[in-house]
This record gives sequence, structure tokens and C-alpha cells, in this order.
Amino acid sequence: MSSNQWEIGPIFRALMRNKVGAILIAIQIAVTMTIVVNSIFIILERATKIERESGIDEINSFYLTTTGFGSNFDPKSTATNDLELIRSTAGVLDAIQINAIPVSGGGWSMSFQTEPGEEKETEGAAIYMVDEHGINALDLEVIAGENFAAGDVRWRPAGVRDWPDNVIITKVLAESLFPDIGYQDVVGKTIYIQQNEPMIVKGIVDKIQAPWVGWDDLEHTVLTPEITEFESNRYYIRAQPGQRDAIMPIIEEALASSNKQRIIRGMRTVQETRERSYRADTAMIKILSTTMIILTIVTGLGIVGLASFSVNRRKKQIGTRRALGASQQAIVRYFMLENFLISTVGVLLGAVLTVGLNMLLVNIFSLNALDWYFVPAGMLVLWLVGQIAVFGPAKKAANIPPALATRTV
Amino acid sequence: MFTYYLRLAFKSIKRNPILSALMITAIGLGIGASMTTVTVNYLMSANPIPHKSEQLFYVQLDSWSQFEPAREPNEPPDQITWTEATNLMQAKQAFRQTAMASTGGVIEPTGQDDKPFMASIRLAFSDFFPMFDAPFLFGNGWSENNDTNRDYVVVISKATNERVFGGENSVGRTIRIVGENFRVVGVLDDWVLVPRFYDVTTGAFDETEEVFMPFYMKQELELSNGGNTNCWKSPEGEGFIAFLQSECVNYQMWVELRDQNEKDQYMDFLNNYVNEQKALGRFARPLNNRLSNVMEWMEIEEVVADDAQIMMWVSFMFLLVCLLNTIGLLLAKFTGKASEIGLRRAVGASKTDLFIQHLVETACIGVAGGILGLGLAFLGLEGIKSLYGEFVQNLVGLDFTMMASAILLALVSSILAGMYPTWRACNIAPASQLKSQ
Amino acid sequence: MLTMTEVKKIFRTDLVETHALRDFNLQVDEGEFVAVTGPSGSGKTTFLNIAGLLETFEGGKYELDGQDVSRLNDKKRSQLRNEKIGFIFQSFNLIPDLNLFDNVDVPLRYRGFKGAERKKRIEESLELVGLANRMKHLPSQLSGGQQQRVAIARALAGNPRFLLADEPTGNLDSKMALSVLELLKQINDQGTTIVMVTHDQHLATQAKRNIYVRDGRVSELSELTDINEINLHQAANG
Repeated sequence: MSSNQWEIGPIFRALMRNKVGAILIAIQIAVTMTIVVNSIFIILERATKIERESGIDEINSFYLTTTGFGSNFDPKSTATNDLELIRSTAGVLDAIQINAIPVSGGGWSMSFQTEPGEEKETEGAAIYMVDEHGINALDLEVIAGENFAAGDVRWRPAGVRDWPDNVIITKVLAESLFPDIGYQDVVGKTIYIQQNEPMIVKGIVDKIQAPWVGWDDLEHTVLTPEITEFESNRYYIRAQPGQRDAIMPIIEEALASSNKQRIIRGMRTVQETRERSYRADTAMIKILSTTMIILTIVTGLGIVGLASFSVNRRKKQIGTRRALGASQQAIVRYFMLENFLISTVGVLLGAVLTVGLNMLLVNIFSLNALDWYFVPAGMLVLWLVGQIAVFGPAKKAANIPPALATRTV
Repeated sequence: MFTYYLRLAFKSIKRNPILSALMITAIGLGIGASMTTVTVNYLMSANPIPHKSEQLFYVQLDSWSQFEPAREPNEPPDQITWTEATNLMQAKQAFRQTAMASTGGVIEPTGQDDKPFMASIRLAFSDFFPMFDAPFLFGNGWSENNDTNRDYVVVISKATNERVFGGENSVGRTIRIVGENFRVVGVLDDWVLVPRFYDVTTGAFDETEEVFMPFYMKQELELSNGGNTNCWKSPEGEGFIAFLQSECVNYQMWVELRDQNEKDQYMDFLNNYVNEQKALGRFARPLNNRLSNVMEWMEIEEVVADDAQIMMWVSFMFLLVCLLNTIGLLLAKFTGKASEIGLRRAVGASKTDLFIQHLVETACIGVAGGILGLGLAFLGLEGIKSLYGEFVQNLVGLDFTMMASAILLALVSSILAGMYPTWRACNIAPASQLKSQ
Repeated sequence: MLTMTEVKKIFRTDLVETHALRDFNLQVDEGEFVAVTGPSGSGKTTFLNIAGLLETFEGGKYELDGQDVSRLNDKKRSQLRNEKIGFIFQSFNLIPDLNLFDNVDVPLRYRGFKGAERKKRIEESLELVGLANRMKHLPSQLSGGQQQRVAIARALAGNPRFLLADEPTGNLDSKMALSVLELLKQINDQGTTIVMVTHDQHLATQAKRNIYVRDGRVSELSELTDINEINLHQAANG
């Protein structure tokens, strides 16, 4: 096929005579590309965020809060009896009392340092207060050192400020606190809480996330061996696989009837909690996806509409071309090529706008910078959209009979 | 003449049904998307107390560590300590003032069948109710004497009153909360604040509390800490008192200052107070006290979520594409009408006549698009509700202003979109279109 | 009625200047029926467009009904077109979406007549062209001759003093052409001045007066031999 069959010159000159229409489509393509590319980027980022694993057995676990009231309420015996009752219920794999739930959004954090004193470098970490059942109930793996022994666990009354002697920390926190040694060697080291209070690292666990999903140091987590004697306490229950939904009402009822000096509230599965915590991200993904798809369709239909009009207006001209020997294929090619030229201007402008919008988002909303390959990928997609959209009208144009040339319209 | 133009517009719209539908749909989608996100942003950034938002000030004192600011860059903490809360309240230097804290507790209804339940509690001073225009169904707020005497009095929400007292006027009756007997002095009417500006540190769109209780009950009954507690230094010593006296911030402070003069005086007072505290060895940082009125405070606390703003800007770009789309289609359409325009010119229509005729046509498309957009906005908001869940309940209502602005936005944007095609159409040289081709 | 003195019209493109009219002089009196003929590109249509205030011109002077129209703005020109001039085109230029009634209505709307007045005029003028019973039909439902009759009704509805026709029978077969011409003559007899551009010599001879345009200038054909024949013909029809 010789190059003059491609008619780029004439198409371009014809376009220049109807600049406005062409420019409108080009801008439309550019803005569409800007939104689509930035949306996809945000969507992928959020999807990655959501897919992070909390490290616990989410599917089979649930939790609830018990709040005691009245002067006869005894937190200590309540916790002991409750845990005994829950652990002995059929279908329960293990259960613990815990001060906060991973991924839930509410919890405690403290600063840790490797040397005592003020003005030392610290690492923040979330704190989960658990007993020796913690590792099993949360489905963690002790990868160095060992689990708490029953004797390590203490009662923690309200208002107490000091901390137990032992602590289990995550691999990530171990590596942050002691960047120069392997995490296995962190076992037995002393770390300091509240600047001066020493705690000995008894074990290292593979992974457990902090409660705050938006936190940068999500895997900075410690377990301390204690059971709280507060008025409000949480129980975290891991069911045998498949038993969760069946035992939830049983446990609620059993706890409520075993002790009237408290209320049972906020019973929820960890799965639901995860959904709630990531709800804004899931929503953003869905909204942006919908917007992106509708926008692409609108732009596509716009191209179809304008191309159809242009075909109608040029019917006679097309008939004449056919009469002069243009093949159907040549007519289709003419319109496809015309659209390709417009799209090219559009996607080039789009590339600039895409990067521009991303820079704005980075500056104003502290989003991450776009990876470079998103831009050429977006250009390719919009090129394709244009070509697909124009194909129908082009096909219609090709079907115009050459006889039209001789008829007055 | 207007009705004539309307009739022509309808004919013209009917003549290319698919094209017209495409334009109306495009405008509708753009408007729908924009209105949905604008509504959410508008409600998030709404002024919840417009008539006095300029007179209510949130107090910030920089009591943080000398080594680092509470928030970068050099921002004071967003709450104050118990020490400051009580000192500022005792100083009583503003027209009205209230320190606040949130907590929770179990309410035990008296009825045999009624189960105890957990209620959210706001600890505040008597000025709280007049300051924030709390609406009363029965009774009133408590008095200043109740504050200082540490009387066991409460104001309860309408819902709590329904639940515990069956909706009767319960003023003077006793309610058992956190294991103590309180006398009800007032019952609030429905009180929806969007955002719940008086405390946005936990969630700007939480509901107002179920129980309001004098602030000093915190100490009296050793109530737990609600909301966020932040400390740059651990409490010295054990027990509840040690915690109250620590440098941990968990309290909010609002003052009502009626004019600039009062504001200046109060600022002076705060600076003097901090200087006194410096002499006692506290407040190691340079003077950095803030008084922010309601809307300033909402801005500082970034009450409008980033995602909502991003979505709004995306939806505006979406609208732009839809309008460009419409401009292109109108241009094509009006070009197709060139011979009719030429004819009308020949029989005596002036450019103005034709301009108005086509503007009416564009406006019709705009109004249709606006109505469609409004419908889509309703759907969009329902969608937002189902995606984000109950806590956005108060953020997804379309009020009359929003509906009117949807139509107006559609009208204005479609007319703007129609401007250029219309102008081009009117400038078609009539003679060029009248000869057969 | 119409006086053009040394009117010039130049079409410019980047490369060429085309003098469509050069020192065009013409006077048409009240009640005349003038046929304008000339070869393709001679300037007939340009003349008609200027006469009908559809185009502006560069030099010279044009008086319509005693009024100098050289320097009028668009609004004023539109108003004059509407009140004094009726147009008839070769391709009829009916608006396809509008039925006959609405098509004839178009100029009356811009005149600002009240509804009842418009209705009366539309009915009268459609009556005149013999199509009163098809008012609700669309142009596409009519034959070419009927369409041109509607166009004439539209041109007449506003009671113009001056009718401009551009190849009014160009798209019609000879039988229909003849009937349209008869209609024009009838209208002329009732006092309306008509200027008709045509390339059809035979048709031109039916007019009271013939002018011939060549290279943008007028040459009168008053000495045409068969002028008496025309008058005779006229008498027979009168």
C-alpha cells in the first residue's frame, strides 16, 4: 500500500477547515484519558491497600464487648468465668480477652526505644493485651523465642501505668528497633516503654496488624501478657472452621445469662470489621470505576454521534469519492484515519493533563505519584476507544452508493 | 414568541431523537455526578450554626513537648489537658465557656423488662446549651451552681427519653446512669448537627450524645476517657487523679466571644495564663495559642474528607467532558440546520431572533438534562449511602437549595455549551444556504 | 421601487478577487415583472441576494422603496426583508419538520402578528395557491409543484410589495413550471412587483420586462423582438 493512499495530508487539511469539531473531540479524549488514568491508578492503590493481610484468622473470628455496671460487678471473676465458659463452648477453637481488635480503628499505642531516657529515637507500636492463649486465638506464629507462659500473665486494674516484664513483638517491629541484627537475635533484648521502663522481648511473631488501617507503621505491634480489670472488656473468639455464625448467638446468650451485672454489646465478626474499616476505600474504588466506565462510554458515544453527523453531511462527497473509484475500504480508512489524527492530538494533550492532575493530587491530597507506564497505557486505551467508536459510522459511510453523487439532495 | 420558540425546540429535539437523547443523557450524567459529590461536600462543609459561628471559638494551647510539636508544622494539640480545662473554666474570662469531654456509661432503666444499655455521654458545663443552641423539648439545661456543686443532674436526648421514660416529660425524675442516680433537668428535642462541630476529634459526622452531664462528674465518678487521648509524657504516679493531672490531652474547650474586642481580650488572657504556667515549669514551647471560629476550626480539622474532594473534582471534569460532548453534538446538529436557518433569515428573522430560538432549544435540552441529573443525583446519593453505610446518613439528603442549584447548574452549563454552536448557527450567511446544491 | 446605482460586489479569497457585480445599475418600478437572465456566473444570484438584503455590497447605492439600505444594521435589514420582500427559491426551501400551515407561519411570526391575524393570512395565502385543504400536511407529502406553491404562499403571506424569485421553476417539470408562472403573473397583476432570476429564455419572455446580466453588468433587452408577443400573451391571460 503506497503512502499516498493513506491521505493523511488531505484529511488533515479537511480537518483544519472544521477545527472546532475536531478540537472538541480531542479535548474530550484528553480529559477522559486524564480521569481514566488517574482513576485506575487510585483504584489499584486502594486495591493493594485493601488486600493487605491482618495476620489473624479473620474468617473464623468474632468479638464482643462486655460492660459491667452496678456496685456488685467484679471484673476479675467475670473475666475468669467468661473465658472459661467461652473456651469450653463447642465450636470454639480458642478465645481471649483483648483490649483492641486488629483493623477495627480503635486501640492503644505506645512508644518503644532501645535505650532508656528522654530524647531517644522511638518507634510507635500498637498494643494488644492478651494471655497465653493469644497466639493461638489470633492465629499467629512464633518465629523466634517463645509464647507467654501462664505465669507471665498479670491482672491489669484500671488506672495502672506500669507494664509487664515480658513482651512479644512483630518481626517488622523487631527489625525497625534493631536494624543491625537479625530478628531472631532480638529475642532476649530489653526495650523501653515510657522512656525508662524495661521490657524483655520474649518472642517474635510473624505478623499482626495494628488497629489503624491508615497508619504507616501498620505492622508495628506488640503483645503484652495481661488481662484487664476494666468495666468494659472485649473478648475475641476464634471458632472452629465453619462454626462462627452458629456459635455467635450461643455465646452471646450464654454470657448474658451467666452474669446480669453487665451488658453484652457490639458483637461483630472480624470480617465485617474489615469491611467497615476499608469501606471508604471500597466505595472509592466502586465510584471511580463507575465514573470511568460511564465517562468512556459517553466519550465513545460522542465520537459516534459526531462521526455519524459528519458522514451524513458528507454523503454526497462520499458518493462522489465512490464514483471516482474509492473502494469501501478506502472510505472506512478515511474516517478511521481522521479519528486517529484527532485522537493523537487528544492523547498527547491527555498525557500532559494526566501528569498535571496527578501532580495536583500529590500536592493537595498527598497521593502517590503515577508510575510512568500508566500514561502510554492510557494513550493506547483512548486510541482504541476512538477507533472502535468511529468504526460503525465509517462502515455506514462505506455503504453509501456511488449513485448518490448524481442526485441532488 | 417564546412559546413559538419552545414549539420549534421540541420539534427540533424530536427530529433527531437519538442525538437529543445522547445530549440529554450526557448533561444528565454530568449534572448527576456533580450534584452527588457537591451535595456530599456541601453538607460536609456546611456551617452547622450559621448565626453565631463567628462568635464561637475553639481554644488551643500549646502544652506539648519542647522537643516536638503536637502536629507538624508547629501546630498546638487539638485538645487540652484537665488542668487547663478546669483552670480556664474557673477563670471565667469569656462571655460563655465550656470545657468538654466524651465518655460512655450504662443506663439502667427502672422497668423490669427493660434491659440496661450503653449510652454515649458528653461532659460539659452549663453554658454548653445556650452556646450551641441546644433545642429543648422539656425543661432546661442545668445551672452554673449545679456545675460547681457537682450535682447529679443530666440532660437526656429525645431518643433516650423515649427509651427510658416512654417519651413522657421526665423533668425531675430519676435516671440511673453508671450506677448512680441522676435527676433529669431537661430533655432535648431532635438535634442533628452536620458536622457535629462541637467535637470533631473522633468523627465529625457522629451523632449528638444521648446524655449530657456536668463536667466535674469525670472526676467525681472517675469516668472513662472517650475520644482520643494523647500524651507526650506519661502520667506521674498511679491512679485516676494522676491521670487527670497529667499532660495528656482529652478535653475540648469552646468560648463565646461577641466581638473582636472580646476576642483580643481573651487572647491576651490566654497568653498571660500560659506565661504564668511557664513560670511553674510547664508549657516549654513558645507561645502558640489559637482561637478558631467554627468554620476555621472545621477547616483546620479537615472535616471535608480528601476522597470527597477528589470525587468532586473528578465529577466536575466528568461534567466538562459531558458538556464538550454536548457542544460537539449541538454544533453538528445546528450545522445540519443551516438551510432552515438561511430560510428564516431570508423571510426576515434577525440574528437575535435566531440566537434566541436556538438558545431556547439548548435550554430545553439543559432543563431535561437537569431533571435527569437530579434523578441521577438521588440515585447517586443512595449509592453513596449503600457504599459508605449509615454514618453518612446525614450527608446524603438533597434539600431544596441543592435541587434548585442542580437545575440551575444544568441550565447554565447547557446554555454555555450551546453558546458557541448557536453563535455559529446565527452567523451562517443566509444566501449561501438558499441555492440548491 | 428598487434602484441600484453603481453597486459593486467583490468576493475575496486569499488569492483571487472576483468582481461579481461591477457598477450594477438597475431601476425597477412598482408593479413591474422583471426577468433577469444571463449565463452561469454572470452575477444574477449575487444581484438577487443583494436586492433581497441577504448580502451586503461594497460600493454604490441601493434604494428599496425610496429608502437607502446601504448602511442598515442586521435587525433593520431583517425587518425590511420581513415586511417588504418575499422570496421564492429553486429548491423551495420548505422546513421539512413543519407542516404547511407552520411553514407559511414562519415569516408572520417574525412580523409579530397576533395569532388570529396569522391564521387568517395563512389560510388566505394557502387558499390563493389552492392548497388550503392540505394545511396539516408535511412538505414531503406534496409534489414539487405543490411545494413551490406553498413557498409562494409563504412569500405572499406577509403581503410583501416585492417578490424575488430565484429559478422558481428550475426543479419543476414544464407543466408544473407553467402553472407556477401563471400564479406569479396573477400575483403581479394584483400589484406585487416581481423580480425573477432564470436561465430559461422561454420563461423569461413571459415577464413584462427582461434584463440580461453579463460579467456583473446589466444589459437591457428592451429592443427584444418578441416583446409584443409577451404583451399579447399577457392580455390573453389578464
